[in-house]
Amino acid sequence: MSKKSKQQAKAASKIKFSMTSRIVVKGFMDMMPLNLAVIPWGILCGSLAIQRDFSVLEALLMPLIVFAGSAQLVATELIGGNAPLATILFTTFIISSRHFLYGLSLRDKMKELPNRWRYPLGFLLTDELFALSTHTRAFKGKVRLIYALASGGSFYICWLLWNIIGIFAGSYLPDLTSLGLDFAIAVTFIALVIPSIKNSSILVAVIVSGLCSVIFKLLGWELDLVLSALMGMFAGYYLLRYQQKVKSKSQEIK
Amino acid sequence: MTLMTILLMAMITFLTRYLFIHPKIPLRLNAKVVSFLSFSAPAVLTAIWVPIIFIREGTLALSLNNPYIIAATVAVLLAAKKVNIYFILITSGALFIALKML
Repeated sequence: MSKKSKQQAKAASKIKFSMTSRIVVKGFMDMMPLNLAVIPWGILCGSLAIQRDFSVLEALLMPLIVFAGSAQLVATELIGGNAPLATILFTTFIISSRHFLYGLSLRDKMKELPNRWRYPLGFLLTDELFALSTHTRAFKGKVRLIYALASGGSFYICWLLWNIIGIFAGSYLPDLTSLGLDFAIAVTFIALVIPSIKNSSILVAVIVSGLCSVIFKLLGWELDLVLSALMGMFAGYYLLRYQQKVKSKSQEIK
Repeated sequence: MTLMTILLMAMITFLTRYLFIHPKIPLRLNAKVVSFLSFSAPAVLTAIWVPIIFIREGTLALSLNNPYIIAATVAVLLAAKKVNIYFILITSGALFIALKML
């Protein structure tokens, strides 16, 4: 290789590296509000596990391999109360079942990915990563894959960190969730959902889902989250179809 | 025993996330289903945040004494104007804390 082409290659690799690091930083920054919003819950999960007589290893394995917010909390209480294994697993399944919707929505984007991307991104597919994956070209091309891995990975690391703080310092800290810090999660989701309402059908989906979520929760239904989301999705979908029908009819008349 | 339970739980959470993105699952989504699923993000995320605002300790808290409602209304209005997410978090968060201290 001549000196010049060597220099060019060096410069190119430098550009490539700075591109990658910029994408990683962007993924991290986009996830940051969500990383911060779950601090109270992460600490609560960790400290609750210790209070319910989990060993440190067991308490660490919860965020490390189960890696779920509400499922972790509820299951920790159930295990602490010596609930039957079937109850614990069934409850985990019910709480986690909303992820089926995420997988279905992202199926066409993710099923063709090579294993080395699909398995880790599937593992990282939380509410939070799904919230950042709504772009029509999400997971397409290396840049967007690195972005997803960086944002999803930063959430994983932060969740683990907050749990560790709860495990080792939980008994010295006040219960942050009683301070109303669950508002942080609500407001982050508001900031993500509201700007995505681009037409009347999405607006209707949001309103129906929100109304149902309150009603179903007050009724104490176990599948409240998934059912209300499905109701909202049906409402939005049928409105969209109706609008398309009306539009195509008016075009026929013209 | 707890260790075994945790391992089984991990398998369940991974299964629910991964199952439908696996290529070998014999499942083809037609255009109608894809259109239906396009509503999943706003619908699911809304079903997560709305109960936090309106339900306090298992009962409906539909009053202006509920700081969650006022602060969330401000957040919704700011978000509708596509204000920066950090600005929304700080403004509505500060308002929320102020209302709680009143």
